[in-house]
Order: sequence, then C-alpha cells, then structure tokens
Amino acid sequence: MDNDYIIEMLNITKEFPGIKANDNVTLRLRKGEIHALLGENGAGKSTLMSVLFGLYEPEKGEIRKNGKTVRIKNPNDATKLGIGMVHQHFKLIDVFTVLDNIILGAETTAFGFLKRKEAKEKILSLSEKYGLKVALDDRVENISVGMQQRTEILKMLYRENEILIFDEPTAVLTHGETLELMNTMRSFAAEGKTILFITHKLDEIMAVSSRVTVMRKGKYIGTVNTKDVDKHILSEMMVGRPVQMTVNKSEAKVGKTVLEVSNLTVASELNKNKPSVNNVSFSVKEGEIVSIAGIDGNGQTELVYALTGLTGAKSGKISLLGEDITHASVRHRNELGIAHIPEDRHKHGLVLDFTLQDNCVLLTYFKNEFQGKGFIKKESIREYAESLIERYDVRSGEGASTITRSMSGGNQQKAIIGREIDRDKALIIAVQPTRGLDVGAIENIHSALIKERDKGKAILLVSLELDEVMNLSDRILVIHEGVIGGEFDPKKTTVAELGLYMAGEKEKRNAE
Amino acid sequence: MQNKKLFSKGRNLLQKDSAKSLLASLLSVLIGIFAGALLVLIIAVFDKDITIGHGFEAVKLIFFGVLSKGRAESGEILFGFSGVNIGNMLFRATPIIMTGLSVSFAFKSGLFNIGAPGQYLIGTAATLITALSIPSTLVPPVIIWILAFLSGMLFGALWGVIPGVFRAYLGINEVLSSIMTNWIAANLVTWVFENSPFRNGAESGKVGYIMKTSANSVTTAKLGLDRIFEGSQVNAGIIVSCLAAVVIYVIISKTTLGFELKACGNNRLAAEYAGIKGKNRIVLAMAVAGGLAGGGAALYYLSGNTEFFWSTYQSLPTEGFNGIPVALLALSNPLGVIFSGCFMSALSIAGQQLKNFTAYNENITSIVIAVIVYLSAFSLILRNLFSKRKLRQEKSTSFPVNLAKREIEAEERQAQE
Repeated sequence: MDNDYIIEMLNITKEFPGIKANDNVTLRLRKGEIHALLGENGAGKSTLMSVLFGLYEPEKGEIRKNGKTVRIKNPNDATKLGIGMVHQHFKLIDVFTVLDNIILGAETTAFGFLKRKEAKEKILSLSEKYGLKVALDDRVENISVGMQQRTEILKMLYRENEILIFDEPTAVLTHGETLELMNTMRSFAAEGKTILFITHKLDEIMAVSSRVTVMRKGKYIGTVNTKDVDKHILSEMMVGRPVQMTVNKSEAKVGKTVLEVSNLTVASELNKNKPSVNNVSFSVKEGEIVSIAGIDGNGQTELVYALTGLTGAKSGKISLLGEDITHASVRHRNELGIAHIPEDRHKHGLVLDFTLQDNCVLLTYFKNEFQGKGFIKKESIREYAESLIERYDVRSGEGASTITRSMSGGNQQKAIIGREIDRDKALIIAVQPTRGLDVGAIENIHSALIKERDKGKAILLVSLELDEVMNLSDRILVIHEGVIGGEFDPKKTTVAELGLYMAGEKEKRNAE
Repeated sequence: MQNKKLFSKGRNLLQKDSAKSLLASLLSVLIGIFAGALLVLIIAVFDKDITIGHGFEAVKLIFFGVLSKGRAESGEILFGFSGVNIGNMLFRATPIIMTGLSVSFAFKSGLFNIGAPGQYLIGTAATLITALSIPSTLVPPVIIWILAFLSGMLFGALWGVIPGVFRAYLGINEVLSSIMTNWIAANLVTWVFENSPFRNGAESGKVGYIMKTSANSVTTAKLGLDRIFEGSQVNAGIIVSCLAAVVIYVIISKTTLGFELKACGNNRLAAEYAGIKGKNRIVLAMAVAGGLAGGGAALYYLSGNTEFFWSTYQSLPTEGFNGIPVALLALSNPLGVIFSGCFMSALSIAGQQLKNFTAYNENITSIVIAVIVYLSAFSLILRNLFSKRKLRQEKSTSFPVNLAKREIEAEERQAQE
C-alpha cells in the first residue's frame, strides 16, 4: 500500500512574513484516484498547490513522486513531472484561437514554422476520446466559459500530464456543465490519471471524489475516505464548528408591493433583434424573498441593470413603492428605496484603490452625516466604517484605512453586504451574493438576508446556485432567454423541475 | 500580541503611500540628476572643445545652477544666493505649476489631459485680448488684470470641455481629441492675431509679437518679491499658482466633489453604480483642467515683461507639455506639483547657466535636461517597485508569477488575521 502514492507532499511548511500559510501539511495522492482538497477561502489550499506547481519553495517538508524526492523550483519542473493545472482564473490568451492556446509553449515545429496540422489531429483525437467539445479555430474571446475550461483541460492532456489539478473548476459552470465535468474527471481517473480537485462545494466532493483532505487556517486537519463521511462531518472539519446546512426560516409575512415590474423589455447590446429581457412582469412584496433562477447569461444581468438604472429600459414600466422609476437616475432609485448587492464586486461594488472606509460610504458620502458644505467629514466616515466593520465582521489588515484591493474576496463581499443592508432600503436586490465564498461566510450572508426579510424588506435574489435559490426563496421565477418561464413555490418544486425550465426545455414542450 | 500590533502599526506608517511617493519622487530626481551629470562628463571626454575641467564645472552647475553667480574674474564659477536665478526660477515655475495641476487634476479623475498646450494657447489669446482691449484710462488696471486672468481661465476651460464632451458622450478617447484640439488652437490663435491691432507695431522688428500687457499698464503686482529676488522677473503670479495648488489639493482630498472625481477616475462603473453622474464629472474635470492651464498662461503673460510670439501654428507651447512631467514627477499630488514645477524650472535655469558659462552649447544642454526629466518621470515605476519590494526578496522567476503570488499571499494573510 505504501508505494502506490504517485505524489506525496510531506510536512510542507510555507511561511509568509507574519503568517504560516501552510503549517506542516501532508497530502498524498494515489494513482488513479480523484482526491478532493477541501478548505475555506484562505485555508492555504492555493499556497499548497503553488508549492506543488513550483511557484513557491517550501521552508520545510519534501515532495516525492513515486517515492523519489523531487525538487520543483518552477512551473516548468512541474510540467516535466507530468503535473498540470487548470487555474481558477483561466490562463488563456483571448485573441488566440483555441488551437493556438492549447499548443502554446509546447509547439511542434519544423524549421521554426508551426506544425499546426499535426497538433490539430492530436487534439481532435483527444477531444473525441474524452468528449471535450471545443471549436479549435474560434478565438477564446468568442467562446463560452465552459469551452474555455475544456480548452484548459485539453492543454493538460496535450502535454500528456498524468496528475491533473483542478482549482475550483465548478465555480464558473452551470449545473449541466458541472455534471459533464465530473464525468470527464471520472473517465480520467478510470484511465489511471490522478486528479486533485480543489473545492469548497460539499455536494461535488460527495459525488465524485474517493478521498478528501481537509485544511483549516493553514493546518492539515485530516484525510478521509469519502464513503466514510457525510457533508456534515466534512463541513465541521472544514469550518471547525457545526454548520447549519439549510436555513431555518419562518413563514413569510407578505405585506405591500414594493417593486412592480410590468412588460419590461431591455434591448441587447449585441443583438438588436433579440432583446436580452423580453416583456417581463413580476412584483416583489414586503417580507418576501423572490428569486430569479436561471443559467448564466439569460438576461439576469440586464434585468438587474434596468431595475437599478445602470442601463435604460426599452419599454415597459418599473415602479418602486408606487413611484414610476422607469426613467429615474441611479441616485434617485438608490435614495428612494433600492439597495443593490451587485453581481461583480470588483466591477461595480467597490472602488478597489479606495480605502475600506471610503467604500463604506460609496453610496452615502453626500449625506449630511458625512459632509458639510461639500467638505468630507473624515472622522464621521471613519466612525461609521468602524461600526460597520464591527457589525458585519469585515476583516482586514489595517481596519478602516485598508486599501480595499488588498482584502480577501469574502471580506470585500461582507463589506458590500453590510453597506447595502445598513442603508436600510425597502428593496434589496442581491445578485449572486455568495459567489466564490466559503460555507461559513455563505451561512452568515444567508441568515442576514433572512433577517432583513423578517424585518419586512422586499428581497430580489438573483442566483445561479439552485441550492441557494431553493433554500432562501419564498417564490422562484425562472428566466430563460430573457423570458420568465414560470413561477414556483420552493416547497412544491424540485431542482430537476427548475433545471428543465432553466434550460428552456419545458417551454418548448408547452409550445408544441 | 498587543506589542506585535503596535509594531506593525508603526511599520505601516512608514509604508504609507504618501511616504513612499515622496521617497520615490526624490529618488528619481536624484537618479535623473546623476544621469545628467554623468552624461555631461561623457560629453566632456568625447568633445574635443570641452576639457574635463569644464566637465566638472558643468556638473556643479547641473546640481547647483540656481545658486550660480557667474564667473569671477579669476575664472572660477562662484556659487551663493542668487536673487536673479531663484527669482527667475519661481517666475518660470508659475505657468508649469498651473499646467502640472491641470494634468494632475485630470489624472485623478482618470483622464489624461494631453490637451494642456492647446488650453494654454487659447488662455493666452483670451488673456492678451482682454488685457489689451479694455482701455486702462477708463478701467483701473487691477480690474483689467482680474478680468484678463478670469478670461484666460474661462477660455482654457472651454477648450478643455471639448475633448471632455467627446469623451463623455461619444466615447472618443480624450488623448486623441486633445491632440486635435491642440493644433486647432495653434492655428486658431495665429489666425486671430494675424492683422490684429494687438501686434507690436510700436517697436521695430517686433511685429511677430503681441504687445506686452504693460503697454496698457496691466502688470502683475510684485508684492515686494522683486526686492527679495533682485533683478529677476518674479511676481505675485507664483503666489497665485501656489494658492491654486492648495485649492486643488483641498478639492481633491477634502470635498465630496473630489470623492466623486476619484471614484470616477478609479472605477467609473462603480461610480455609476453609486449614483455618481460619470459623464457630467468627466466634462467638469476637463473644464477645471483646462481652466488651470489657461490660468497658467494668464499668469505668465500678465507679468508685463513677457511677449507672445503669435505664429503659433508651427509649434505648441512647451509650458503645456511640461505639465505632464511635472504631474508625473509629483505623482499627481497637487502640493507636490509646486515642488516638481520648481524643479523643472530650476533645471532650465541650470541649462541656461551651462550655456552661458561653459563650452556646452544649447543642444547639448537640451539633451541633458531631457535625460533628467525623462528619468525623473520614473517615480511612478519606483513607487511600484517599493510596493513590490517584499516580493522581490522571494526568489522569483517572472512578473506573472509574482502577481499570482501576491494574490495568494493577500488572501492567506486576510484569512488568518
């Protein structure tokens, strides 16, 4: 048994000034297994993988391959040892074709000219063998995220890597694509390739992995066989305390209508003939959470932009608290009653080079509390930011004066959520509020949203995560190609049924 | 634990952005000056007309040009307090502090105002026309001065608004449209003054110039500065430009307007999300930037002893372009612009000394100054280097690797705090 480990990382310790990112961590991979590496954001998973991939050299510990000690000083060494990695943020060149991206760095040439034809044949046979469909001649900028990931996987296969690292691969995928990816991983494993699967999604671990290694705060917690554990045990190992998996919530006490959308149509930037939001009508009332469920890119983003005023509506009417806001400015909507937790915290939610305290007042800096005669009251902003930081447990290096860019994603998100909830507006539009966050943080955000609901806030939740939608919602609206295909009661529907509507299958069948 | 926190707080203070910026600017100035001095010596070695002795004299002038008092009878160059040089340094710094502020202000709002030369020219024309066409027999010169200064600012602002509107409402890059408006200004000003009564026909051979504003008794007050810096052209303009720097500093760092502009400059989408009217702010920022450049022109030409060569269609005013290195060197800090503006004008004084008192001719002098300015503008790179210093201690291979490491490190650090 001892010798069937293909890769062993033994007692790895890696320190950064002031912190131990990896403290005596051991990870052993068996040949042909799917091994999950589980841990919250910042548990040290990425550092450990960077050590394996040659980005860092550890202070202590050793790495063995097939029992022999190896030194991995840079990514090239890793490649030579057959280690390949699909990074969470893909490392592809947008303006190159899929083919060129795959062969980049491992080109076969004759007299300095690329032998594309040969490479193409090899890639085609690989993609056929594993069912990894890609359009080899399309530029990466024009293909879907799922196909970009398949391109990354083909890159590893093209280089004949035998140890494949997937860093949070499902964060960007739809439900269907995730299932597909898991099948691909299984077929790799069946062939004897070793897979290391980094994630914090427990369902996926239970579905696909054979063993799990858990890390917490840089420390090694343990390695277990997946079949011996369940989600509760794993989450407790990861977080260090029992975690509530489903949200407890009382019956919704629905009040007056807060948001009323009627026949809203939003033009598409790309396609003039097909609007991205098409004749949509719905309402959100006090004390309820209404979810918009759908696969990414079906008009959710555009719908939210139109509601919040970031783009204009083509036709239809939006009213908030009885006032027609279809053509109102963003500021007016915000002040009247919209709190907006945006989809992309870096794009819209924060000015990354501002301090945390300035970001805390990004939507309220002009209020009399924070300014007098046009002059910023720095002290009041600081006091306010400190209370917000305290109440929403936002952690950062230098408190209120931390540059926001240097904070971790989870804490940036907490700051946004705290800011928006604290503005105390009648409607909260939360778009993917837990994207990329770990279980503990998700739990907090979910309970915060429920609490606001119980206070009588109207909440519109837009999410790609069906679990989240099922857990939180009082009503679910499914959007497909800009059209709301149906309304569901989460207690009376299933993930499978929602999935059908999300894929547009159900509508088609109805039409036929 | 408590101690550790305190310690790290102290260290953070040292690592504060402003301290880093100041250090970066000072260092790059030094690097620039040393490179200039080295170049002067190299030229001395290769040019047969220049001896090494001259070379060392020139190096001294590059370091202490503003303190040069010319050659003594014994032949050596004397140094000491020179009212003429320091006064002239302040006088020449006046317009470039203003254009430096113009570029900095736009920069803070996320815009690159390469249109300062055009705004400066239009400001010049507006100032001169106002100052020369209101008869000082009817209106007190002080009032004319103020009107002329304001019209310089106003027209500069209008000239800045044009690329601002193009950028905000049509999405046209302000660099492109500013380059166009620069040359439109250059030709427009020539056209306006051609055959105009403002040309200096009174003095022979001066018809290529516009009359000095002193011809209409309009001159900037000296406020005693001419007594401190005897024999120089200095006037109260330097005080006005320093005040402008303070005002701009206050606007950027203390007001809600500054908050909005910085938000737009750093992340326009987030600013719009926050309900800030991004388009409106772009136009406003360009208007202020243009007004500052126009104001710089007004301060320069209202001195009463400067003349304007009106055939501007051939070249754009260097005061406009110099705003860019001045702003870069100050890392867009409005108060820093006062010092970087003085540094730039001190260099031009040093160049003049070099030309007057040594065998170095005008061309060599220009090259040396260009090298100093060029290297000085590296302060941005230096500051970034300071921020990454910790990472460079790691044995690292390449830039993207460093970047990836930085991300990981930040994340781990946060999580464990």
